[in-house]
Amino acid sequence: MTLELSRLTGQMRAMGDELAARERQFDDLVVLARRWLARYADQGARLRHPARAIRAAIPTNESLDAVHPLPATPERFTVIAADGSQIQPNPHGAALYHLINVGSLVYRHGSSKAPAPHSEPSLGYAEADMYENGRLVSGNLLDVRRDLAEITCLADLCAVEPPGPTVALVDGTLVLWVLEERSSEEWRRDKVTDYMDQLTRIRQAGAVVAAFVSRPRRAEVTRLLYLASLEGDADRARQEPNPLERLPDRAVFRDLPPGARSALFVSPSSINYDYYHPAGHAVHFFYLNLSEEGRDPVIARIETPVWVAGTPERLALVHGAIVAQARITGDYPYALARADELAFIGGPERDAFEEMVATALLRAGVRTTLSPKAYYKTLTRQGRRKYGR
Amino acid sequence: MSDKNLQVGRVLRAGTRGFTIGCAVMQPDIPAFGSFVWAEGLTPGSAIYGLIYDVSVEDDPFVRQFISANPPEEVVRDQRENRQIPIEVSVLAVGCNDGQDAHAVRQRLPAQPPVTLDWLYQCTGDEVRAFTTRLDYFRLVLEAREAPADELLAASLRTAAAARPEDERETFLVEAGRELARLLSGDLVRLEGLLRRLRNV
Repeated sequence: MTLELSRLTGQMRAMGDELAARERQFDDLVVLARRWLARYADQGARLRHPARAIRAAIPTNESLDAVHPLPATPERFTVIAADGSQIQPNPHGAALYHLINVGSLVYRHGSSKAPAPHSEPSLGYAEADMYENGRLVSGNLLDVRRDLAEITCLADLCAVEPPGPTVALVDGTLVLWVLEERSSEEWRRDKVTDYMDQLTRIRQAGAVVAAFVSRPRRAEVTRLLYLASLEGDADRARQEPNPLERLPDRAVFRDLPPGARSALFVSPSSINYDYYHPAGHAVHFFYLNLSEEGRDPVIARIETPVWVAGTPERLALVHGAIVAQARITGDYPYALARADELAFIGGPERDAFEEMVATALLRAGVRTTLSPKAYYKTLTRQGRRKYGR
Repeated sequence: MSDKNLQVGRVLRAGTRGFTIGCAVMQPDIPAFGSFVWAEGLTPGSAIYGLIYDVSVEDDPFVRQFISANPPEEVVRDQRENRQIPIEVSVLAVGCNDGQDAHAVRQRLPAQPPVTLDWLYQCTGDEVRAFTTRLDYFRLVLEAREAPADELLAASLRTAAAARPEDERETFLVEAGRELARLLSGDLVRLEGLLRRLRNV
């Protein structure tokens, strides 16, 4: 073992003490945040403009402390979930390529039928696949491609789904996360437009779409509450320290009743305002307690476009369907868990795939070798052995 | 070996005394404890015969989530029909055929085990009858430490008797009882237990 655990015991103890102290501090902050939520519940309209200036959650017409109980769901409805995984290109590998695998599950509630699993791998190896604007497609660029593949898969499945209430579900966020410093404005716009085109296809298919964020860490509603405590003064909010700065929104909403959702808010992300708003897909979000009566609360963040958030029946479908899905496992949508399983590229599969690549290259007459660095890693990372005493 | 053999699964790991195969849950007719099976040997036409002595379902943490949760029918069907939860079937080697003569099955341990990912097939009734015309495999079963030997031998005899016409079954079982009496003459308690099991066939 190369990690000397015995040398970490002191640091681990200190970490435990620090986290326990932070928890106690959080408890006090949650009390403060809930007091502000109740006090400024009707101040949404006044806070809307300054909230955007400091990237706090943007209030909608709902009262900030609104609580919406679990709505009834139709007897039959369909949830289609998609998730993706990827193999990053490895400059030290036998060849330069990337792989995206999208898994999906079509789950028809009330049908008593086995859900339909799908898995769609795609290999990028041509120059046009591997480079964009002269840069190797890896890291965030590959993440963007995977996100696009996931939403395209959902749109494809929604397009062939028979008429009926249908919810398309992605894991994470609906706001395509494109690193600004790594891309030109035009490139970013193209990617976000591609993503929104798929949202439009889902809408045209008669389905609704939502993104599920498990254990969300965003502190956008708490920032809004701090702004409210300063009577909406964005300048002061920027300059003065925010006591709730590190308090995640989910801590404030842990008192939601089982199955209930919070008020709706608009995502303050600049991409949301610059691209999604003008295209009619402005991303809204709410917090949702997935747990059943008598269980500890499990708070998730749900994102959904304005054409869902603004229609009570569609919003109720998303709300009810996600709770129904999560209660199958207890705290996470079943269809998303299965989509992740179908997308996941495990160690043995990865090894088998790499072997297939090497064989295909050899058949084509291409000699492949690992870089010296990669070669020695294969030798040293299989575990050290001791001989003799 | 017949063309109508049911494929049970593929070999996961193997030794000369026995082997383990994996098969998917969706397999409709997983052979039962005491069934006769065979796997291809290393040389063309050769085969290794065995008896199934254990069928176990692999643990799956995802399924554990639903054990006490009364899952909806859709989930039960998804788990059973779509997810590849492997079943492990353990086989005791009891005979082999070196491939020279299709009918020359020898009831002894094979010289070499089957190879990983080889198919395992269930023996047809004809093959079971042909294999059990000799009863030398009793000794291999009785001496097996990894398998519940007496239960396995009784189960294999039930399978072999069922593969015969009704009017031949009693004669076959009496013959098997005589062979057991010869092998277990020094262990009358064990012999009595085995014969009692055979009487219930």
